[in-house]
Amino acid sequence: MCIVYLIAFLFSLTSEQCSSKLMEDSSQSFMERMHTGKTSFIYFGNHVNPTIKLFMEQLEMSADALQDYGISVVKVNCSKDAIANYCTGEKLMTKAYLFRGSEVLRSFDIDTVFDVNAIVSHVLFSVLFNEVRYVHTPAELLRVESAAKQNSDIVVGHIPVLGLPEHRALMEAAFVYGTKYQFVQTSGTLVLKHMGVVDLSSSQARLWFLHCKGVSRRSDPCPSTPMRKPLNTINIHTFLQLMEAPLVTESVLDPSEVDVVHLHLGVPVLYLFSQPQTQHLDRATAQTLGLQLRGEVGLVLIHRDSPNVKTSLKYNAAYRLPQEDVKYFTLNSAEGVVKLFKEELLQEQKLENEEEDEEHWSDLDILDDEVSESVYRDRDLMLDLESVIELTSDTFQITVTQDDITVVLFYFKWDAVCMAFIQSYIEVADALEGMNGVKLAAVNCGEWTDICSDQNVTSFPTVLIYRPMAAAQLYRGMLGTKSLHRFILLSLGSSPYILSSSAEVMSFMEGDLYSKHMYLTPVRVLGLFSSTHDMGVTSFEEAARLLRGESILGLFAHKEAEQWVEGLSVNLPALLVSRGPGVPYEVYSLPSSSPTDLVSLIKQVELDRFPELTVENLPWYLELGKPLLLLFIGKEDSTESTKALAEIKQPLSSGQLDSFLPCWIHLGRTPVGRSILEKYLGFVPPLPVLVMSQLKTGEEVFLFPPERPLMAKNILQWIHDVENGQEQPAGLIPDGKWGPPVPFFDFLAIMDQEAPTYAVQRAPKMKTGGREDHRENKHVTPNQKQTPHPSSNPQAPRQHSEL
Amino acid sequence: MSVIQPLFRLLCVLSLVLAGSGSGSGSGSGSGSGRNASVSHEYCVLGAGPAGLQMGYFLSRSQRDYIILERNAGPGSFFQIYPRHRKLISINKIYTGRRNKEFNLRHDWNSLLSDRPSLLFQRISRELYPNADDFPRYLSTFVKELGLKVKYGADIGTIKASDFNGNQGYILTDQNGVSYQCSVLLVSTGLWVPQQVDFLGSDLVEGYESIPTDPEEFKDQAVLILGKGNSAFETAQSILGRASRIHLYSPSPVRLAWQTHYVGDLRAINNELLDTYQLKSLDGLVEGRLEDIAIVRREKDGLRRRMAKKRSQKSTEGKEQLYLTLTELLDQNGNNISKITGQNLPGFHTDNFSLRQPYDRVIRCLGFRFNFSIFDGSARPPQSSGARGRLPGITAWYEGRGTPNMFVLGTAAHSRDYRMSAGGFVHGFRYTVRAVHKILEQRYHNIAWPATKLPISQLQSWILRRVNEASGPYQMFGVLGDIILLRGSYCEYLEEFPLQALPQLSALSGRPLTDQGLLVLVMQYGLNRTDTLGPGRAESEWTKAWRSNFLHPVLYYYNTLPTEKDMRQRPVGWPLPRPEALHHMVEDFLTEWDQPISHSQPLRRFLEHCLQTDLRAFYAESCFLLSLTSRTPPLFCRQGYLRKQGIVGNSHLWQHAREAGLMADHQRDITPGDDTSVSEYLKHAGAAVVSTMNFDL
Repeated sequence: MCIVYLIAFLFSLTSEQCSSKLMEDSSQSFMERMHTGKTSFIYFGNHVNPTIKLFMEQLEMSADALQDYGISVVKVNCSKDAIANYCTGEKLMTKAYLFRGSEVLRSFDIDTVFDVNAIVSHVLFSVLFNEVRYVHTPAELLRVESAAKQNSDIVVGHIPVLGLPEHRALMEAAFVYGTKYQFVQTSGTLVLKHMGVVDLSSSQARLWFLHCKGVSRRSDPCPSTPMRKPLNTINIHTFLQLMEAPLVTESVLDPSEVDVVHLHLGVPVLYLFSQPQTQHLDRATAQTLGLQLRGEVGLVLIHRDSPNVKTSLKYNAAYRLPQEDVKYFTLNSAEGVVKLFKEELLQEQKLENEEEDEEHWSDLDILDDEVSESVYRDRDLMLDLESVIELTSDTFQITVTQDDITVVLFYFKWDAVCMAFIQSYIEVADALEGMNGVKLAAVNCGEWTDICSDQNVTSFPTVLIYRPMAAAQLYRGMLGTKSLHRFILLSLGSSPYILSSSAEVMSFMEGDLYSKHMYLTPVRVLGLFSSTHDMGVTSFEEAARLLRGESILGLFAHKEAEQWVEGLSVNLPALLVSRGPGVPYEVYSLPSSSPTDLVSLIKQVELDRFPELTVENLPWYLELGKPLLLLFIGKEDSTESTKALAEIKQPLSSGQLDSFLPCWIHLGRTPVGRSILEKYLGFVPPLPVLVMSQLKTGEEVFLFPPERPLMAKNILQWIHDVENGQEQPAGLIPDGKWGPPVPFFDFLAIMDQEAPTYAVQRAPKMKTGGREDHRENKHVTPNQKQTPHPSSNPQAPRQHSEL
Repeated sequence: MSVIQPLFRLLCVLSLVLAGSGSGSGSGSGSGSGRNASVSHEYCVLGAGPAGLQMGYFLSRSQRDYIILERNAGPGSFFQIYPRHRKLISINKIYTGRRNKEFNLRHDWNSLLSDRPSLLFQRISRELYPNADDFPRYLSTFVKELGLKVKYGADIGTIKASDFNGNQGYILTDQNGVSYQCSVLLVSTGLWVPQQVDFLGSDLVEGYESIPTDPEEFKDQAVLILGKGNSAFETAQSILGRASRIHLYSPSPVRLAWQTHYVGDLRAINNELLDTYQLKSLDGLVEGRLEDIAIVRREKDGLRRRMAKKRSQKSTEGKEQLYLTLTELLDQNGNNISKITGQNLPGFHTDNFSLRQPYDRVIRCLGFRFNFSIFDGSARPPQSSGARGRLPGITAWYEGRGTPNMFVLGTAAHSRDYRMSAGGFVHGFRYTVRAVHKILEQRYHNIAWPATKLPISQLQSWILRRVNEASGPYQMFGVLGDIILLRGSYCEYLEEFPLQALPQLSALSGRPLTDQGLLVLVMQYGLNRTDTLGPGRAESEWTKAWRSNFLHPVLYYYNTLPTEKDMRQRPVGWPLPRPEALHHMVEDFLTEWDQPISHSQPLRRFLEHCLQTDLRAFYAESCFLLSLTSRTPPLFCRQGYLRKQGIVGNSHLWQHAREAGLMADHQRDITPGDDTSVSEYLKHAGAAVVSTMNFDL
């Protein structure tokens, strides 16, 4: 209790302090600061935009927080005082630095230190670099343990995401208790598993106390106690206090008189009464119970022989919940009392919390679907369909046959996915406006349901491409601006392009011919046939037609075609693939097969062998079903990245990586890659970083050891080690089932509660047929004496039971 | 949805049928008029009313060997006479503000179904309540434009069951002795025999079918009408301005269609008499059993005769007045109703008896019954248990009970949903006829019930589509429902299946069942009816959707198909047995169930529960993340993104999603909490162990 008051008091204090602790340095004060040798966190900026403004607010808050740790927080206005090295270059504005004296301990992206919690946690983490051990694997943790045994206890924090309040809480605790305990931070899922956590999918932060100091033999493992409460400063503090408290307190007072630290920490206390004759046994029982309930319940052993103990003899135990009176009971077994606490008394408190959580989660009227919610937030916007022609039953047929290409979107107004896509669709329409031969149209299937049925549209949204005199073509690409735009532009060209001379072939392959498509895709695929009479030509043409808009295909059916495969390992007919000007061609033999098989063959040869994975192209590569050898490259194109790419390419060309899909993600172009790394490893290590994931065997993610240089030789060695099980996985891909995200709103249960008979099946033998008639007759059978009378009772029609 | 395939199969079957029947029936169809001639058809449709023609259209579309037999010279002859006062009370709403053809059928109660968009009733009449003459005209147009095969002037006198190669068939004989051999008989003869109740003096009563329609004929007359249905009120309304007094007598109180949602109950368009009754303008309603009454002429005693002689000759022009009395008051011995005295009249015993005054006319308006008389004992369906036995008893799939291969269509099939739904009316039975046709196709031609195969990720939008436009389940609420057979990653969507036949789903539809369960989509009115116009009649909170009073969609989820027993024991008033899970979509004032918070999301969550999977939509970027960091990404990503059809979105939308905390922000996976510093606390609370660490690391 007192703690809570204290906190409240402190909060009120801080909020009343209006003077900021954030300092601003001029070049002179900066120089002085460099000489003091003190630790400071400095941000250099020259102007303020909304993002920076937010950051400055957070920085100011962190100044107050970090002052307590002797760290000054400083900003430097570069437009006033240009400080060499820091006030220049691109990194200005986006970086903050941690100095000790004039030495830079670490630099941070302001994206990383985005708020006060992130600043405090990252700064303290850097400052405490040597105190707090960072472990990845169970093996590393065991090493720390054995070093600490008989020496000091260990506090292990599992922080899945850095920079959040939990991380800060752990760092602050480490700062305060760092000399007393060995602090360990981890983010790996394997450590979690090692600590006995079953549900690995939750991204909850956790903490354990390893009792290493008291182990009697160095070979014994350190017993551990998990902290069951959420990770925050108060809970950690309480928890550590509890760990310090004796396992069992002995007393000669009545339970209500005993004062133990637990009561002050808001923790229940269990009292056991001991008789002089069974003292040893009682003590042992108390010890066992104490171990089982450590961290959650305090244990007091009360000696009955004392005259101060007045409790009736019929009770042998008592407990006291925080802020409640002592309750007495009779204990039958030690298990019983553990059960009582774990399943009832503690559970109750927990349940309350959970219920609160649930209510919070299933606030039923909040949209929990990102697409629906984002579309819903636009509900006051009128959709501007100006550049898109809205078709009706009357105009549909005429419109779709007018232009070379009419693109038609079939949508529902009330479908969020459709309405999200229609924004992209309008963007494409705007981009293509004025272009000859292309028209973008849309059919609202909520209104023109007949068109949609006639066109066999059963999936929404659907995009169909209409050309005069041809069956509609289904657009099968990503439902996004870029993909659709590219598709339409490519569709305008013919497919395949018929080439008539070797010179044309050369120009086609090098991208000179049809160069306007170069920026859309550099890949060119050419079908080579010895003559137009070749059986495969029609198949190829049909395949090309199916791939219209997706690929740029050429057809060279000519006697000169032979020249293009001369000296290569394949005979005609063949596929020649160019990935851009100057890149050596690849050649594949072209078996005679159906157009659809050809389509998949062509799609396959088009795939890059060392692709950069993007949001738009990932599905094509995942389809290959190979484990990924995934290189993450930072935002800035550094030489390191270029080198890393080259190092992987090397074994690639020699075919040593054939069982893998080597690929890379550029975090600048695909920022979501950062979240992937965090999910894989629990943190973002310095880039570039190489991981292996999506293995057939399952869930492990392996990290190429950061200390080893990223070189072809090392990479191959590492792959070899992984395959032989010599590498420890660095993370796990959870096999989470995607069940319903919120609890079910059960109408039946509500009916049963509010109208108990309403939803219940009838008892057998009740007649259903003709029931109303019988009842009706009974109802109105006139009493012999009673004469018919006008139904002047206005209730009558309503009273009659309707069926 | 492949239309081509069933069409192809249909053509194959057709050619087989043609080949098979070529030799056998060649002689018959050509010269049907000869004496004792015999014609055989696969399907015989009896009656060219709306139901017969509707079935004719479907048979013709599937190119079956069929004939429609009609005894009159044109279609829809019932409507040449009825309603007697020539105003249809079926809504012909032309302007709905919508161009959705399916949706507009919800408000077009007269058109038959066809693939011709122009063949709608609005072509014939623009009136909201059209003239009855327009309906036969419309039916003629329907026959002509679709080229339906109708044989007029064939008055079938007898129908006998007969064995055709081990299957029960039917032989129909017309007035000329021509017999029609029918493998399948479709009875759409409607209800046209006036319903009568036997009581003393019923011969003194005129029938609705023959009363004059000129109001002048009722000038200053007191009229007693037996019945309180639409025909009774229609008759009363037409003479309201001429008759002196109109009383309506029948067992049950008036049921107002706007209260009961049953279009067969009294429609507001006919209810002017309620006004004059409640405003005490000499008209009135009385309840009592019809079997207990007698209509009598007063035996005039001497005194009275002398007194009244001069006047009565003038005023009643020779017509004797009629009294309503009770059988129990009549002479027990002889039932001689010619000797009626004052003591035989209730007014003698109860001086303020409501109907004590005599009437000039008594009119029977008790509706119609099915004509059972043409059926030979071998082919006669039983009388329905409901609807006072006026209708044939039929199975849930509209086959006569005990008469295999004979189906009953149209109004005559109303026993299935009598006083519940719209199966007795054109706007309802056009859909049941379509359902029966699908059953015929499966049973006799092995063509399974049409189904749309949908990926599960599309199911929600498909349900919303049906809920927002489908006319069949909307009109035939509680009777026809859409069935969704769950098949793992995809499902099969069957439209407008007769719900009561659900236990026979597999056999009737030809769609096999799996253990994945099924969903049924039904439109229902609320079951707890309160004051129809009173406060609190409308529910707008989706969490209380089950208390909706107005028509609204309800979804039932079953693990396994309900059995006949489950069906019999279903909760009182429910169309279906208690399911594993149930979802009501809250009623909507505009009948537009498309709002994200009140309609879509609760529906999605219900489906998620039934399918035990997350059905949320994700942008491509989220799917990218989930595809790489989870072994099985959510369904939407699997069925969209991973099939290269991800929904990309744009930065504007992502911004919204991120602000809502739904989409990961790659720099900060979770939005930072608003926790402010508590380090001061540490400094004090943990003072004893404050770090002595220096920073010279």
